[in-house]
Amino acid sequence: MEMESSESPIQTTKGAAAKSKAPRKPKQTTSVLKQKSPAEFFSENKSIAGFDNPGKCLYTTVREFVENALDSAESISELPVVEITIEEIGKSKYNSMIGLADRERVDEELYDDFETAKAREKRLAKEARIQENQAKLAALGKKLKEPTSAKAIKGRAQASFYRVTCKDNGRGMPHDDIPNMFGRVLSGTKYGLKQTRGKFGLGAKMALIWSKMSTGLPIEISSSMKGQNYLSFCRLDIDINRNIPHIHLHEKRDLKEHWHGAEIQIVIAGNWTTYRSKILHYMRQLAVITPYAQFLFNFVSDASDKNVSIRFSRRTDIMPAVPLETKFHPSAVDLLLIKRLITETSKQNLLQFLQHEFVNIGRAFAERLIGEMGPDFSPKMPVKSLTSQQIVRIHQLFRQAKFDDPSGDCLSPAGEYNLRLGIIKELHPEMVATYSGSAQVFEGHPFIVEAGVSVGGKDVKQGLNVFRFANRIPLLFEQGADVVTRTAMKRINWNSYKINHTQDKIGVFVSIVSTKIPFKGTGKEYIGDDISEIASAVKTSIQQCCIQLKSKIAKKIQAREQQERKRNLSRYIPDASGAIYDVLKEMTTLHASKKKRYNDEDAELLNKVSSKLITKGTLMEKLAEHVEQVDYEMALEYATHRGVTDEPRENLFIQSLRDENKFTDFQSPVFVFRLFQ
Amino acid sequence: MADRKKKRRQADPDSDSESETLPFKKLLKPDSTILSSLKALATASSTAGTSSAANPVTLSSLSLSDTCREVTDLPLSSVQSHIETLALSLAKSILAGNGFSFSVPSRSSANQLYVPELDRIVLKHKASLRPYANVTTVRKTTITTRIMQLIHQLCLKNIHVTKRDLFYTDVKLFQDQTQSDAVLDDVSTILGCTRSSLNVVAAEKGVVVGRLVFSDNGDMIDCTKMGMGGKAIPPNIDRVGDMQSDALFILLVEKDAAYMRLAEDRFYNRFPCIIVTAKGQPDVATRLFLRKMKLELKLPVLALVDSDPYGLKILSVYGCGSKNMSYDSANLTTPDIKWLGIRPSDLDKYKIPEQCRLPMTEQDIKTGKDLLEEDFVKKNPGWVEELNIMVKSKQKAEIQALSSFGFQYLSEVYLPLKLQQKDWL
Repeated sequence: MEMESSESPIQTTKGAAAKSKAPRKPKQTTSVLKQKSPAEFFSENKSIAGFDNPGKCLYTTVREFVENALDSAESISELPVVEITIEEIGKSKYNSMIGLADRERVDEELYDDFETAKAREKRLAKEARIQENQAKLAALGKKLKEPTSAKAIKGRAQASFYRVTCKDNGRGMPHDDIPNMFGRVLSGTKYGLKQTRGKFGLGAKMALIWSKMSTGLPIEISSSMKGQNYLSFCRLDIDINRNIPHIHLHEKRDLKEHWHGAEIQIVIAGNWTTYRSKILHYMRQLAVITPYAQFLFNFVSDASDKNVSIRFSRRTDIMPAVPLETKFHPSAVDLLLIKRLITETSKQNLLQFLQHEFVNIGRAFAERLIGEMGPDFSPKMPVKSLTSQQIVRIHQLFRQAKFDDPSGDCLSPAGEYNLRLGIIKELHPEMVATYSGSAQVFEGHPFIVEAGVSVGGKDVKQGLNVFRFANRIPLLFEQGADVVTRTAMKRINWNSYKINHTQDKIGVFVSIVSTKIPFKGTGKEYIGDDISEIASAVKTSIQQCCIQLKSKIAKKIQAREQQERKRNLSRYIPDASGAIYDVLKEMTTLHASKKKRYNDEDAELLNKVSSKLITKGTLMEKLAEHVEQVDYEMALEYATHRGVTDEPRENLFIQSLRDENKFTDFQSPVFVFRLFQ
Repeated sequence: MADRKKKRRQADPDSDSESETLPFKKLLKPDSTILSSLKALATASSTAGTSSAANPVTLSSLSLSDTCREVTDLPLSSVQSHIETLALSLAKSILAGNGFSFSVPSRSSANQLYVPELDRIVLKHKASLRPYANVTTVRKTTITTRIMQLIHQLCLKNIHVTKRDLFYTDVKLFQDQTQSDAVLDDVSTILGCTRSSLNVVAAEKGVVVGRLVFSDNGDMIDCTKMGMGGKAIPPNIDRVGDMQSDALFILLVEKDAAYMRLAEDRFYNRFPCIIVTAKGQPDVATRLFLRKMKLELKLPVLALVDSDPYGLKILSVYGCGSKNMSYDSANLTTPDIKWLGIRPSDLDKYKIPEQCRLPMTEQDIKTGKDLLEEDFVKKNPGWVEELNIMVKSKQKAEIQALSSFGFQYLSEVYLPLKLQQKDWL
């Protein structure tokens, strides 16, 4: 419960960095009862924020930084440019960073990975055997398998360290707020409701706690805001017990280049080997759903062959509108929330409170509601004077009364246009179809489902590839139980759309945006399959895409048949005419020996066969002529049916224009019409 | 419940008075009594056989509203000339520049008809055109042509080959034996002859043992002297002849295991009979053989199958033909097969213990209900009743369930008792 209540205020802290914060008053410890600071709570339960193991921690750190960067850039309507670098740091380098001298092992037997004499004997014997085998194979001239390098015996101390750097072109942070933004967990003040990207709203703070737990090294932040002529630099860590920032250095520096945004650097323990593919998948999927952003991802290590550098370039400069903050829908609030709204409202009386703090309650409707509440209530009564019992009554009525559904205006879906471009940009599919559903409601929260289905493409596995997005961020874990996966696997009859779901390379993309995504499980990694509103919306969206694809696929199959018809028909000519000729041949011998009588016409034919006037070649020739004719007729029919002749197509690329042009945009979910002045 | 109690009371004196473990054994009368009743059955069957043979009902004499199709046994020479005529017309069509096509009678279930007067399934008149110059049919047409040519070869050389042989003559074209097998049936219907007249046979599957002497390709075979395994039923029926027997009935067994038991116990010596099994679903050769025995020896046929829907289904294949080979049903079916056991009513009558009965699966029950709709079941009210008992009790039992009273219960008690009580439907 504590989590729930403390979560909503911080959800909106991201991207609203400029707002000053009123730090929560530290709780007074008056009795033996111990109290935990939020920072302590999260350090002990870090798995609920996605920090389960070193590998996952590295992954979550990357995604928190990247999502913060996107939020920050979008909040000032700047096309995001995000650079993320992971640098592997060896143990000795790490030691030197923290000023610890490398020590040689003196007492070898003390260590976990110490090899006893017996174990060594065993290992050497095994290696010898392997070598012998390989020598044998080599002698036989067989291709040698890469000698499996004796795996480094992994001890507990093997965890590697990584420096994660993330640079964006966003809003930046006000100089004085930086310490509190990083060094204080759950430090938001603004309440409200809107579609947010963040999974936990903990952002970089959890990463800082993790770095403190694993390396003890501080976080470094450089930031500059638009119009600022200096660079804020701050090096800090967090006092976990007191939940306050511990500042090492906080200063203004000269701004060397024209730049606004933030650059955050942190050193944490992690595991690149096991989470490499997850991180890369995450970046790729993020590029799909955010085609207007440019990402540069780098992995740097001592071994240069392991280095990775990928650029996900920008494909469009149309950004979805910033999601609007909205008010709660009456059917979505609980008792605690009503109480909080009452404490925080600036409205004086009950009527105004109902009218202004909730959506879909007009003045007349508010009056009707108050009338229904009972004689203890009146429109003019001061809202702060409501008793607990009265609040329960309001809550009950909110549950039972009928309200209009909230509109989806406050949501910011990716948009069909961007989703399509994202899919094309990252997957290069042969075919793609997208669909955007209208806003629907689940428990008072509006949601919009958008879907894309692609067929073919590069780096796509055979079968179904499900890409899930919630509030425009990819979901990678716990795929099996998710509503999208389940729907795609079980409830779509792919065959009826002429799609072979085991052979074809199918990409299924579903993006759900909502003011509250109904995640399941602690990790917030999947949306449950038990919500029928969402399940049916997902199904319809995917089906709509499939319907679009079906006609395309049918045309393609038809076209392929056109091309292959003649080849297929001709392929069997020798077999068929050979078989018939053989029978005729046998008959001629019988005919010659007068064993059988035939009528004149047949006899003439047989005579021609025996005198080689008709041979297998003749039959083949005639049959080929017939095939030619049938093929021509069918091609003609196909052409008249299609009505158009296929002309060779060329790809056409339109250059993007310079920024200086003045223009007016006419937006639509599917396209943007831009009028230049 | 009351019914069951009564039965138990009846059976109690038996077990008390005798230390004999086989239940119902006391009820058995001496074999001579049973034999006399069987003789009566045999004579009745042979006289009935002659009377029906006197005025055989044929498809043409029925004057059905739909024109139906059936195939006949053709001698090799006429198969050959049929193929030759067809080849000539195909060649002419090609030379005229029209390509070629076959008209293949449809063997789909929509084109099948059960004729109650004949107690058989026959094909209706629907046929489909199989042109060469069509992407969907070009392969099948070519395979049809090739199979036809191969059969022409068989006719010239007057030899038999198996379906497998046929497939291996042109693996590259046929790709898969199911394809050449299916086309083989098509060729039979195109030419209007039975599959066995094409000289293509399936591998041996069925076996026969008991009081039967016949000649196989000129060799005289005495089926009482074939050991336990019995004589494999020859795949091509036309080399079988000179059937002689002193048996009183033919016992048709569904399963190999029950067949073994009866053969080893020399059941046919105690009650003169011929025991036949096809080890499950019957193949064409076994069906032909059974029909030949029935027609030549004029013996009654008693069937011993499992008490489940599939047992009855197998019975129906012997009796009125399979859907796949319905075009050839006239030559493959054996009329008037009696259902001896194990019938659903036997489960309680012979007190088969609960642990030997199996619950029917959803699929079983569905099959059972479907069978109730079939015409060949409906015409026999006794069968309908039994099937109803099965579907209601939702229990099935295999022949082996009788082994719970001892391995020889089947041959020592169950069958003699059944025969004594003339308990067949």
